[in-house]
Amino acid sequence: MSGTRWGIVGGVTMVDQLPNLGREMEMLSVMGMSSMDDLFSDIPEGVRMDSDLPLRPPQTEEEILADARRLLGANVALGERVNFLGAGLYRNHVPAAVFQLINRGEFLTAYTPYQPEVSQGMLQAMWEFQTLISELVGLEVANLSVYDGSTAAAEALTCAVRIHGRKATQKDTIYVSDMLPPSRLSVIQNYTQGGGITIRSLAHNSDGSLDLDSLKEAAGSCGIYVEQPNPLGLIDGGLSSVKEIIGENTAFIVGVSVTSLGMLEAPGNYGADIVVGEGQALGSPITYGGPLYGIFACSKAYLRQMPGRIVGRSVDVDGKEAFCLTLSTREQHIRRHRATSNICTNETLIALMGAMHMSLLGPEGLKHLACRNMAAMQMAKEKLSEVETIALPHAELFHYNEFVVELPGSASECLIYLESNGLIGGFDLSAWYPGRKNWLLVTCTDQTRAAEIELLAAHLAVWSSSKAQGVVQ
Amino acid sequence: MVFQQGTGGGSVSHLFEHYGAEGKGYSQPEPILSVDSLRLPDSMKRSSAPRWPRLSEPEMVRHYTWLSNRNFGIDTGFYPLGSCTMKHNPRVNEVIAQIPGIADLHPLQPEHQIQGLLAIFHEMQEMLGICSGMDSVTLQPVAGAQGEFTAIRCIQEYFRARGELGRTKVIVPDSAHGTNPASAAMAGFEIVEIPSAEDGRLDLDALRAVVGDDTAAMMITNPSTLGVFEPEIAEAANIVHEAGGQMYYDGANFNAILGRTSPGLMGFDAVHYNLHKTFSQPHGGGGPGSGPIGVRSHLAEFLPSPIVKRRPVMPQDRLTNANGEWWYQWHFPANSIGKVQQWHGNAGAVIRSWAFYRRYGRELKTMSEHAVLNANYLRYMIQNIAVERGLDHLFCDGAPVDLVKHEFTLSLAPLKEKSGVGAMDIAKGLLDRGYMAPTVYFPLIVPECVMIEPTETESKEVLDLFAERFVDILAEDPEVLHQAPTTTPVRRVDEVYAARNLTLAHPFEEE
Repeated sequence: MSGTRWGIVGGVTMVDQLPNLGREMEMLSVMGMSSMDDLFSDIPEGVRMDSDLPLRPPQTEEEILADARRLLGANVALGERVNFLGAGLYRNHVPAAVFQLINRGEFLTAYTPYQPEVSQGMLQAMWEFQTLISELVGLEVANLSVYDGSTAAAEALTCAVRIHGRKATQKDTIYVSDMLPPSRLSVIQNYTQGGGITIRSLAHNSDGSLDLDSLKEAAGSCGIYVEQPNPLGLIDGGLSSVKEIIGENTAFIVGVSVTSLGMLEAPGNYGADIVVGEGQALGSPITYGGPLYGIFACSKAYLRQMPGRIVGRSVDVDGKEAFCLTLSTREQHIRRHRATSNICTNETLIALMGAMHMSLLGPEGLKHLACRNMAAMQMAKEKLSEVETIALPHAELFHYNEFVVELPGSASECLIYLESNGLIGGFDLSAWYPGRKNWLLVTCTDQTRAAEIELLAAHLAVWSSSKAQGVVQ
Repeated sequence: MVFQQGTGGGSVSHLFEHYGAEGKGYSQPEPILSVDSLRLPDSMKRSSAPRWPRLSEPEMVRHYTWLSNRNFGIDTGFYPLGSCTMKHNPRVNEVIAQIPGIADLHPLQPEHQIQGLLAIFHEMQEMLGICSGMDSVTLQPVAGAQGEFTAIRCIQEYFRARGELGRTKVIVPDSAHGTNPASAAMAGFEIVEIPSAEDGRLDLDALRAVVGDDTAAMMITNPSTLGVFEPEIAEAANIVHEAGGQMYYDGANFNAILGRTSPGLMGFDAVHYNLHKTFSQPHGGGGPGSGPIGVRSHLAEFLPSPIVKRRPVMPQDRLTNANGEWWYQWHFPANSIGKVQQWHGNAGAVIRSWAFYRRYGRELKTMSEHAVLNANYLRYMIQNIAVERGLDHLFCDGAPVDLVKHEFTLSLAPLKEKSGVGAMDIAKGLLDRGYMAPTVYFPLIVPECVMIEPTETESKEVLDLFAERFVDILAEDPEVLHQAPTTTPVRRVDEVYAARNLTLAHPFEEE
């Protein structure tokens, strides 16, 4: 029966993942059945699929690997070029031990730890992760990850509405920075529209700092969301006075760059109620933007409205230290439509990579990593400042990881020129801010070398001076 | 789990007990500018370092290896966790996911730098569409629950575009996964729960009683959470469609039906796929997942953007060595709901699932057949062995049917009544015998429920032995089962203690 479909003839590929292949009849006959069709006789004729799936034949491992290498090899990996593209995702070095350890099958192939007695390893690792994040951002509790930085921000805002909805003078209203990239704002809009939440904009001054009048307007709303550093890499020195302005009943939510916290103040220490962010730069490659992990930490006042899974320390019946999921009554499998979020599957394994990286860094290693990121950015800023035909609109301000270069022509055109010289020169900001056709976001990380910065400066000088002189490329 | 020795030579290993010397972890090159020259506003300088541990690499490796030895994965043993499709994860998929052409790609790179990746995305969109009978697929949602939310958002915008603003209700059966009502509620819908029929199946009369011009959609999985194929699914779709609503297919149980039927044939308008179930993306102890959705053509214009389309290669294209005859490009649906993840979803998971798909190709049908074969065989063997030993009165079927699909449920209510041994005790007894426990107490409509899903990657021998062991446990001394497990790294964990004495981070102050 299956023999014909499988074409068991020399040279024909067979699927090698099915231990019972070829033993179907043996198992069927035990049950008094005679064909695989008998197993599907409960599917009414009207909805049966009568022909085989119009898909390709199965492949062997070697063939799949060869196709994968050919297709993926045709992509331009960042490491093959001199790279200055970041814009929220950062190519920091991740130690080899991290990759080796997360491929241990006991971590890799486990499901959510519903049976704590045989899941102590992941539960303890996630409890430790919660501690590492809590320490990093300066807040009391952290969950064991949400999908990414964008959904973390969205979940933080709905959490703020649940907490402050009743007392807020601006009911169901939140304020978010008007500098947010449209993709991040879109996620926030999708997550908040169902709750009838109104999103208003927080304005910024030309130096990237929050506009005080705009901030005063936000007082009495359910929460505000700002990013530090902001999407242009600018560090706002004024954030330490925000909480005082918006008051106790408005949540102060800060989106962070995780490595920057080796040098920048932990937001919990300047009044943040919730800290979220993209965790990727600690522990994970960029992987075309996923899987990543979103960090979510808050003060105790927000704990019971927090989304996602949380591990608590407990004891077993013998009084021995043990870990288990806790506060599950917030979650969808118990609370169903009244849950704090629909999240079930999260990003545990990527969070584990983060925990491993953090464990190796230690506090001094984190600071050192932040210094390397900042040093590379600052050297690039200095070198590019010397190029006379381009401008750095915020040169005198404080940055982390990245900064804006204003070109004498369009950034998209410049990127094509740079690419022809082996550089991925940065990010064309007109994709986020349509009016900024000539703005290039240049990102440096711990992997950026001085010689690469020299190269970028040299090529920008050539391209921009030809532009300035009206020479057609 | 024999390696109980901790990193410090003791029996446990605690990350935060490693203090060591400053800068003990892995070495890094010096910053390319002197640290003294780095500029920061005074108000933003970090005032105190995080109290992170300090570990050398050997200590770190041993700590996480110790932890891994206290964790159970599919690689450890049989993992019959119902509804979770815990099949073997082929290892070449992990090798492929580390190739720089995926691991070291940035989502803001232009199309001409990622033609190979887009070709794979396109192939996955096509394949998922074919298997499910849907017209358009997006790979953006990063988990099943997010797929549900995304599809429900598309349906919401569809009705808004038609001016049908009164469609405010989403119908879910009481046997549904908790994410269904949670996702619909997050999108702003009111939830209408309908009771299942006596036999656990969808009750059409109950459905008829609640549909109306306020119905936006019905969310349902088929086979149901009882593992039973709903024979009247097409009629249910008719009822909902006649009332003007949309049908949403929860793809959690898709592993049962590939090549045998499809949500499209059953009359569904939208579906999500769990790549971490059906297509073997490793679940990693809780994630990552990937939850693409497919829709019929009338919903396609609302899909999150962008999705991949292709056209014949043209002379002006910037060719790469991935190009054959096609040029792949991003397409932005006209009335897109926007983004549910700010980039393009969990690309790494999609790549692994693509490699998994290539292993089966059209034989995905055989994959589903074997999943169903194994589930029915295991169910039969448990029943048969129990009858032989005169123990079959201790449990009953969760659903009184001859055939199940990829999973089945048993009610241990008779056992509970007779000896006080409940589903949780049986679960813990199985842990002592080296198995992961089945899903217990779900679906809620089956008392003392155990839900068993063997998947297609378990051998007959594993199933035979599990059936024996399962029936052994039914006859086990109740006192032994109440005490179980005793062979695991810790014994029963006090969840009430955890909730009452919240310790959600290492308590530094205790030291």
